[in-house]
Amino acid sequence: MVNLTIDGQQVTVSKTATIYEAAKEIGINIPVLCYAKKLMPYGACRFCLVQVEQMKGRLIPACTTPVSEGMVVTTTSEEIEKVRKTAMEFLLVNHVLDCPVCDKGGECDLQDLAYEFGSIKNRFEGEKFDLPTDEVNPLIERNMNRCVLCGRCVRVCDEVVGYGSYSFINRGFETKIATAYDRGLNCEFCGQCVSLCPVGAILPRPFKFKARPWQIREVDSVCGYCGNGCTVTLGVKDNKVETIRFNDAIGVNDGNLCIRGRFGYSYVNHEDRLTRPLVRKDGTLVEVDWEEALQVAADGLGKASKAQGVGILSGARLTNEELFLLKQVAETLGTDHLDHSGGECYKGVTEGLQETLGVSASTATFPQIETADVILAIRSDFYETHPVVGMVVNQAIRRNEAQLYIVADKKGKLNKLPRAKTLLNPPGLELDVLNAMCKALLDSGQAKTEGIADLESFKAAMGAFAPEQVAERTGVDADAIRTAAVQLAEADNSVILLAYGLPYQALSKELATAAANLALLAGIPGQAGSGLYLCGEKANSQGAIDLGILPQGDGLGAQPMLSAAAEGKLDALYIVAEDPLSSYPNRDKVAKALEAVPFLVVQDLFLSPTAEQADVVFPAASFAEKEGTFTNAERRIQRVRPGITSPGEARSDAAILTALANQLGSRLTYTGPAALFAEIGKQVPTYGAFNFDEIGPQGVVWGGEILQPLQRKLVAVGGGSTVTGDFKLVTGSALYHSGTVSTRAKGPLAVLPEAYLELCREDAAELKVEEGDLVKVTGNGTALQLKVKVGNRLPKGVVFAPYHFAEARVNQLYQGEAVVAVKVAK
Amino acid sequence: MAETAENIQVLICTGTGGLASGAQSVIDAFEAEFEKQGLEAKVGKRCDVKKTGCRGLCANDVLVDVILPGQEAVTYDFVTPELVPQIVEDHMVGNEPVPKKVAGPYYAKFLEKQQRIIFSRCGTIDAESIDDFIAHNGFTGIKKAVTMAPEEVIEEVKRSGLRGRGGGGFPTGVKWSFCKATPGEHKYLICNADEGDPGAFMDRSILEGDPYGVIEGMMIAAYAIGCDFGYVYCRAEYPLALKRLQLAIDTCYEKGLLGKNCMGLGFDFDMRIKAGAGAFVCGEETALMASIEGERGMSRPRPPFPAVRGLWGKPTNINNVETFANVSYIFYNGADWFNSIGTEGTKGTKIFALTGKVKHTGLVEVPAGTTMKEVIYDVCGGILNNRKFKAVQAGGPSGGCLPAEALDAEVDYDSLIKAGAMMGSGGLVVMDETTCMVDIARFFLNFTRVESCGKCIPCRIGLKIMLEILERITQGQGREGDIELLEDMAYDIKKSSLCGLGQTAPNPVLSTIRYFRHEYETHIKEQECPSHSCKPLLHFKVIEEKCKKCGLCPKVCPVDCIAWEKGQVAVIDRDKCTECTSCYDACRFMAIE
Repeated sequence: MVNLTIDGQQVTVSKTATIYEAAKEIGINIPVLCYAKKLMPYGACRFCLVQVEQMKGRLIPACTTPVSEGMVVTTTSEEIEKVRKTAMEFLLVNHVLDCPVCDKGGECDLQDLAYEFGSIKNRFEGEKFDLPTDEVNPLIERNMNRCVLCGRCVRVCDEVVGYGSYSFINRGFETKIATAYDRGLNCEFCGQCVSLCPVGAILPRPFKFKARPWQIREVDSVCGYCGNGCTVTLGVKDNKVETIRFNDAIGVNDGNLCIRGRFGYSYVNHEDRLTRPLVRKDGTLVEVDWEEALQVAADGLGKASKAQGVGILSGARLTNEELFLLKQVAETLGTDHLDHSGGECYKGVTEGLQETLGVSASTATFPQIETADVILAIRSDFYETHPVVGMVVNQAIRRNEAQLYIVADKKGKLNKLPRAKTLLNPPGLELDVLNAMCKALLDSGQAKTEGIADLESFKAAMGAFAPEQVAERTGVDADAIRTAAVQLAEADNSVILLAYGLPYQALSKELATAAANLALLAGIPGQAGSGLYLCGEKANSQGAIDLGILPQGDGLGAQPMLSAAAEGKLDALYIVAEDPLSSYPNRDKVAKALEAVPFLVVQDLFLSPTAEQADVVFPAASFAEKEGTFTNAERRIQRVRPGITSPGEARSDAAILTALANQLGSRLTYTGPAALFAEIGKQVPTYGAFNFDEIGPQGVVWGGEILQPLQRKLVAVGGGSTVTGDFKLVTGSALYHSGTVSTRAKGPLAVLPEAYLELCREDAAELKVEEGDLVKVTGNGTALQLKVKVGNRLPKGVVFAPYHFAEARVNQLYQGEAVVAVKVAK
Repeated sequence: MAETAENIQVLICTGTGGLASGAQSVIDAFEAEFEKQGLEAKVGKRCDVKKTGCRGLCANDVLVDVILPGQEAVTYDFVTPELVPQIVEDHMVGNEPVPKKVAGPYYAKFLEKQQRIIFSRCGTIDAESIDDFIAHNGFTGIKKAVTMAPEEVIEEVKRSGLRGRGGGGFPTGVKWSFCKATPGEHKYLICNADEGDPGAFMDRSILEGDPYGVIEGMMIAAYAIGCDFGYVYCRAEYPLALKRLQLAIDTCYEKGLLGKNCMGLGFDFDMRIKAGAGAFVCGEETALMASIEGERGMSRPRPPFPAVRGLWGKPTNINNVETFANVSYIFYNGADWFNSIGTEGTKGTKIFALTGKVKHTGLVEVPAGTTMKEVIYDVCGGILNNRKFKAVQAGGPSGGCLPAEALDAEVDYDSLIKAGAMMGSGGLVVMDETTCMVDIARFFLNFTRVESCGKCIPCRIGLKIMLEILERITQGQGREGDIELLEDMAYDIKKSSLCGLGQTAPNPVLSTIRYFRHEYETHIKEQECPSHSCKPLLHFKVIEEKCKKCGLCPKVCPVDCIAWEKGQVAVIDRDKCTECTSCYDACRFMAIE
């Protein structure tokens, strides 16, 4: 800690703090324009100049200068104010000053500073900028006439996002910020530049002319898409979410957002939202009132529960409190057949961890990744499924010189990061590479084996995974395997990342087990600064695991449930917040199940393909309309807050579940999220440590920043297998979408409107196809037409199709295996 | 040159200046002539043609030294291939220097007040020969340095009093000790050869004429500080320097002088060149490092200083070419010897590049403490065409203009700053009475405004506005209050800019206002340019008293608007005149205003 004096006030701050940060701590606001909390010191705008007694004769930039012991700082004086004012005059000479029609007006840093300085006169004159605006893409508008060249967009895109869309071009006064070749912006559209632009130079197009900033009501909540749990701030006007804003002051993940979080909100306002309950009458779904719908549903479910039984499938859109209520409904119905979308993916992963470490969640929190020395990402899709954690990985590399290794079957964003090394394996063989890393560690003598159970049998089982042997099978360089393993074990802070989701169902438990084995041998679990991360696909995947939304006793899980239904062995299905027909593997089986099951209740936001098959459809509330908690992939429990009311008669899942339970005869009463959270705490001890009202902006992390494993046991798993065939199809997430909900959101749709088949240039040339051509993809006894996307991500012979789009029916091809042999023809 | 030899030696300047004047054809001519004459047989001695570096007097290239055994070198200037047979015939065979072709007494005078230490090998040794370098003390400095502990090496440099020759004048030994004190496994050493000041080319000459000397200086620094990798950041506009330095580095690697266990001296040092892409701002150390890292050359805030967190985030020491060259000599001759040269505050010699309206443009090396007057008048022969001296611009775009009254200022970091200029890297632009000082300020501002990296507001926008004000003054559109406005904003720009470029860019304006305020005032109040240099302010009128009635102006006038008869003063018809300034440029008597 360092002591210094600022404007006569004593302050003690950490020695890494800057003068600006120290001043802020005691409530002294030094004006800044180019400074941004999460970016590296830059020092371009010169508004933050102050005087330091020890550095007489010069003016010192407060936002870049670190504090030192005994410093005496003066933040305002005649001289300081004069140079600040002059800089402001300079800026305003050429700036267009079109504040009346600028969306930033009212929350513009330039406006605020000019106002603060009282800059009403300008001694200088010059021409106004007259540069063309960039309106090529549908999401981000760039008007460089308003740009103050603070470089925040350039820096965030480089330092945080790792995309590098922007750069300064030209010199001197002609300097401007441009994209490559000064063309229209074409990037991953995360909108981080929009968030950081202090003026109206970079604006969200969907928000243009929608509202003045002061007309917006801001509500901090949690993003409803992936398991990162980023804080999103709903910008609400007239009961409509008009924009999503970021919160880097107190939000989780530093206010970082991806395209889904930033631009994927509009499904909430979609005109196709369900507004009234539906009941099938004479073969068609007709609108009815709640009373009737609940009656029909309760009758159907009650009857089924007394016969062959009811299966309940839920999605991770539900809050913890709603999941708790769902469990009550299951109890009321007396069914053990309960599962959530995690059953298709995340559950397996947590089981793998449970067997080895005795816990079923990530062992550390996201901030630890930023200070890691070595990072191993399993499957390159990690960035695509969890972009914001991908950004943290980028920050670790750029700020901490972390070494990144990727074990994957294709390349992606992560592979392009500095010093990233890819162990590229054929699809389905990740397990072999992980095992080889374990074997390499054991052989090198670097493995941390103290206190680890079942070492000998594990060693014996790894005999078949000598790096050379695996190299032969997978084509991954044996030395690269060894180096990666040894570095992971040698580093003080090591991180293993494993992301999971619906399209990555195969071998999920085995992969998690292999990753946990490696983590144990590298000394990662429980070690401060290190961690093994399991990242679920959905916002509350971890909550569903924590609350045990899993088959109870001998109950059926998701897939067996669907099989049973298809075979006529279940009498009802109650599907909450899921669209299995669109997103679950093996569409034909799902279709058969939905067709065969005598009674189907669906609870959703839209009339999804699954809901269309239902006997009763309940209109539910989106994340923006309800209150409760989500638990993200780092075990952080956060508050979800309502910004708007639901359209029409749509109700929150909590309200629907309570009403249904009551209709079924239960005396369950909905007592509000706080009371329910307390109830959860009684059943889930890790949650019992917290009080709902005490959950602050940063949430609370159950199990602590570092979750100590309850056991350390090596569990050998065998290798994977790949397929032979013309092409190997893998499916997965596209960066712009999450699940199927985002396909109803204008933002992500504008960038990626439909499914595609991605292949490498060489394959495209051999097939004589070009970007946009239609190809026939045949496999698993079915054939699909998909548009071709040509890229450099995939190795030869591997093709990729994203799973989000219901109409593309990719899940007809993909039936849950790690890789599908397909034929591709023009 | 007090150089004697066993053989007959012909030393030919092959610096950029020499080559541009045709040195290669002179070399070819000598070699052809030797062969044709069978000279070696004829005189019974070996005859060598040696390609040396620059010897300073670039204006009089091609310079050739002929050294006969046992005799002092005889220098010829303005040598052409046609002259070669005669030199060979008369001088080498006949032992009789060609009288009218030998450089005149000015050459001895040019050398008289100089103390050529750093340049001692430039112009005498074959710049591309490592053997020649070794024969002239080469690598004795580093050999001596490694017998001392690294701390003692730094102490020696501190004791020598050497200050950075890049312009700032920071004590070199102290700088080294900062980097040395920073813990770190890898440290970088950078040689700043991004010489960008208009008219300055001393670093280029050193690299072209004595590349091994710079490498040796860097090796000493690397050993002392503990750097294992060195970069020479040299602008790509110096192809010859890059070529010779690369050749020297390659040769050093071949001979095991660089790389693992340098020369067997027990330390590792690797080196490579990074060619700059032509940005002036990349001479600023933080922008230079950004450029090496592959980023856009933009300055970064300090602290952290390079010694703590520099290139690739590692501790880094940056010195200028001339500084490293000095280091070698300190270790040849000792810190005490170096300390005995110069003034109290500035030790050793300083190289200056003289350009502009001076008789002998070129490079001179004088001991610190020599006055500006001595440099301009004694060494460089005074003002061209016997015009009146007006000012000398010292320190490039960051420096200032000194008037005649300030010419007694000594070449010394502190005296020059006191006088309102700065040592800078050593560029001196000499101006005579025909130079308009407002226009000079405009020229330098135009340079810095274009070369600003665009990062910070004062430099990016402020300089452009200053330039616009200067432009309107030189166009006769100046307003009351412009001078005060310029002074005021110059102060703010200096105070608030991020790096040295912006912090010093207003200096040419401030120093011209300080010494030549009346010129500004005349421009603004009377719309007159006292030097008749600002073309928009010319009246296109013949001054009768000055006109020598030579009849040149009507000849150059493209629209035939000048009436003249023999013995008569010329008259310009303003109705027809297109103000093209051909007559003004042509008149040798400054008779047109």
